[in-house]
Amino acid sequence: MTTSRMSRRGFLAGSAALGVSGLLTGCVGAGGSDDEGDAASSPEGNGTPESTGPVTLQSSLSDPQPRAALESLIDAYDGDVTLNTVAIENYRAQLPTYLSSSNPPDVLTWYAGSVARDYAARGLLLDLSDLWTGDGACAGFSDALRSLSSTEDGTPIFVPTNYYWWGVFYRPSAFEEWGVEPAETWDDFLALCETLNAQGVSPLTMGTGGTPWVAAGWFDYLNLRVNGPEYHRELLAGQHSFDSAEVRAVMDEYAKLLPFIDPNGRSYSWQDAVTPLVQKRAAMYLIGAFITQAFPEEDVDDVDFFRVPIIDPSLPVGEEAPTDGYFAASGSQNPDGAKALLSHLAAPEYQQQFIELAGSSNLPTSPDVDTSGFSPLVQKGITHLEETDEITQFFNRDSSDELQATADTALTRFLDDPDDVDAILADWQAAAERVFDA
Amino acid sequence: MSQPDLATTPDQQAPPVSRRRRASSGRVPRIVWLFLLIPLAVELAWVFWPAMNSFWLSLTRWSGVGAAEFVGFDNYANLLDDPVFRTAASNTVIWTIGFGGLSVIMGLTLAVVLNRPRRGVGLYRSAIYLPMVFSLVVTGLFWRVLYQPDGAINSTFELIGLDGVARQWLADPDTALYAVLIAAVWRQVGYIMVLYLAGLKGVDPSLEEAAAVDGANRWQRFRYVVFPQLRGVNTVIFAVTVIDSLRTFDIVWAMTRGGPYDSSQLLSTYMFQQGFTLVNLGYGSAIAVTIFLLAIGFIITYLVRATRED
Repeated sequence: MTTSRMSRRGFLAGSAALGVSGLLTGCVGAGGSDDEGDAASSPEGNGTPESTGPVTLQSSLSDPQPRAALESLIDAYDGDVTLNTVAIENYRAQLPTYLSSSNPPDVLTWYAGSVARDYAARGLLLDLSDLWTGDGACAGFSDALRSLSSTEDGTPIFVPTNYYWWGVFYRPSAFEEWGVEPAETWDDFLALCETLNAQGVSPLTMGTGGTPWVAAGWFDYLNLRVNGPEYHRELLAGQHSFDSAEVRAVMDEYAKLLPFIDPNGRSYSWQDAVTPLVQKRAAMYLIGAFITQAFPEEDVDDVDFFRVPIIDPSLPVGEEAPTDGYFAASGSQNPDGAKALLSHLAAPEYQQQFIELAGSSNLPTSPDVDTSGFSPLVQKGITHLEETDEITQFFNRDSSDELQATADTALTRFLDDPDDVDAILADWQAAAERVFDA
Repeated sequence: MSQPDLATTPDQQAPPVSRRRRASSGRVPRIVWLFLLIPLAVELAWVFWPAMNSFWLSLTRWSGVGAAEFVGFDNYANLLDDPVFRTAASNTVIWTIGFGGLSVIMGLTLAVVLNRPRRGVGLYRSAIYLPMVFSLVVTGLFWRVLYQPDGAINSTFELIGLDGVARQWLADPDTALYAVLIAAVWRQVGYIMVLYLAGLKGVDPSLEEAAAVDGANRWQRFRYVVFPQLRGVNTVIFAVTVIDSLRTFDIVWAMTRGGPYDSSQLLSTYMFQQGFTLVNLGYGSAIAVTIFLLAIGFIITYLVRATRED
C-alpha cells in the first residue's frame, strides 16, 4: 500500500467484511450515509414521520429509575422498538463502533454539544432537520438548545429531551440545625465552610475515588467565576495553556477549598459521597441535579441548592447545564422509523413522563411541558438556568473524554498534593497537548 | 507408523511398490491433513490475523471511526516519552515479582502445613481454596469494601490500637498497587496450595522417614528431601504464575482503574484505557504489541531452558 491513508471505500468494505452476516446490509447502510439528504427529504417530508418497520434504541440509561422510565415511554409507543440497555462505561467505549458498524442501532442516547458534533463531522449522524422545522417535535425548542444540537453549519443532528443544572446541594434541615445560611459571595462561602468545620462537620463532600471527574466540577466553576465563560470554553478548546497564570489563579481558589473537603471522599464514588450529606456528617456537595437519584426517598424533599458563589462580579455568570437526549445513526436501515421514535421521545407529555418516573430532577427541553406539577427543587432549577448569562456543559462535554482523563489525573493529584501545583499544571498541559496533537 | 485404515480403502489395489514407497516416505492420510489444516485455519483467522492487525494498527492513529492514519513508529516513540507508560511498565515488574513470589511462598507453606491428615484439615483446605471460585472482579469488589476508609481493615487497625496505620488504601498512590496485590494473592494462594498438595502426594514418605532417622530436622527434611522432589510441580506453578501475573487486568480495573492518578496502572490496564475507554486504537495497540513481545520473549526463554534441561 503506497498511500498512507486508508480510503473511505476501503474502510467501508473492511467494516462490511467484518460483519460476515451483515455483508449485504452493510453496503446498504454505507449507501444510506451518502444519501442523507434523500432521507431527510423523503416522501413523509415535514411533520411527524410515520413509524415504518422495527427500530433499535441503544440506551446508556442503566440506573434503575431512568431505565424503567425509558421502558415506560417505549411501552407507550405503538411502533416496534427493541431497547438495548448497556452500562454507561461500556456504552461510552462502544459508541464509535455502534455508529460505524454496518448495521447500527437506529436511535441512541447521548449528549449534545461537541461530542455529537464530532460524530456528525464524520458523517455518522442522521440529519434531523425535519424535526426542527415546521411542526416537527423540536421546532419550538429554544435557540440555545437548537445551536447546541446542531453542527457548525447549522444542521440539526440531536434531539435534546432533558437537561440538568449543577449547584451546591445541601439539606435545609441540616443548615437549620447548624444555624447557617447559603452563601452568596465567595468570601461568605469560605466563612461558611470555616463555621461548619468548627462545628465538626465536613463542609464539602466529594466522591473522587471511583469517579475522579467529580473534581472537574469545581475546576469548571472556579474557572467560570475567576476567568469567565469565554475563557473557559477557549481553554477547553485548546486555545490557552493549563500552565497559565489564569489557570494558576483558579487553582489558588481551589486550594482554599481543600481543607474543607471530606478526605474520605478520595475513596468514594460520587454516589458514596452522598451518604455523608444525607447523614449530616457533611454539609454541601457541588454536583449535578442527578444527585436526587442517590438520595433516599424519604429525604428527597429535604434537598436544596444554591449557585456557586460569585468571585468576580464583573464577569458574566455561567452555569453548567449538560444536555441529554438522542441522535440517530446515518447508517440506520429505517431513518423514518428512527425519526418517528425521536418525535415520540421529544413530545412534551413523554418528556414530562420521563422526568417524573426517572426521579432525576432533570428539566424538560420542550417549552410546552407543564412544569407546575414539578417539585419545588426542579422549579428552582428552571429559574436558576433562565437567570444565567451563559451556559456551559461539563468538562468532558465541552472538550472530550480524552481531555477529561488528563483533568482527572491533574486534579486528583492536586487534591493530594496542592503544594505541587506548578509541576501538576505543567504535566497537565503536556498531557493536554498530546490529546490536541493526536 | 502403521496405517491399517488405508489398507482397506480402494487404494488397496495400487501396486505394492507405490504402497511401500508411500509408507516409507511417511505420507500422511488425508483425514489427518484435514484435522491439521482446519485448526490451523481457525488459528490463523482468529489468533494470528487479529494479532497481525493489531501490529498494523499500532503503526496508525485511529479512533475507530473513519480512516486510520499511518504514522509509522510514532506510537512507539510516544510510548517512550509517556510517563504513564513508564509507571505501568515498572508496576508490571513489581506485580509479577510480588504476585508470583507471595502466592508461591504462601501456597507452598500452606500446602506443607495442611498436608498431614488431621481433624478438620479438609475444612481448612476448602476454606483456603474457596476464594478461587470467585472471579477476580468479584474479589476486587469485595476487597474494595474492606479497604473503605471506615471499612473492616481500618476498623481492625484501630481496634488493636494501630490508628496510625489506618489509611485510604486504594486512594493513596503509595499503597494502591500493593493493596490490590494483596487481594489478588489472597485469591491465588488457594490455587497454588492445591497444586502443591497434589505434588506432595507424589513425594515418597520413606525418604523423609529415612532422613528423620538420620537426624535431619524438619526444615532440613523439607529443604533437602521433599523440595527437590517437587521439581515437576514447580515448573508448572512457575509457568502458571508468570502467565497469570502478566495477564492480570480485571482485579486492578475493578478496584482502582489504574488510579489514583495512574499509580496502580499496569500495562494491561493502560492498554485497555487507551484502547477502549479513550478509543485511541493505534496507541492502545502499540501497548498491546509491547505486552505481546514481553510475553513471547518470556515464553521462548522459558521453553528453551525447559527443553535444554530435559
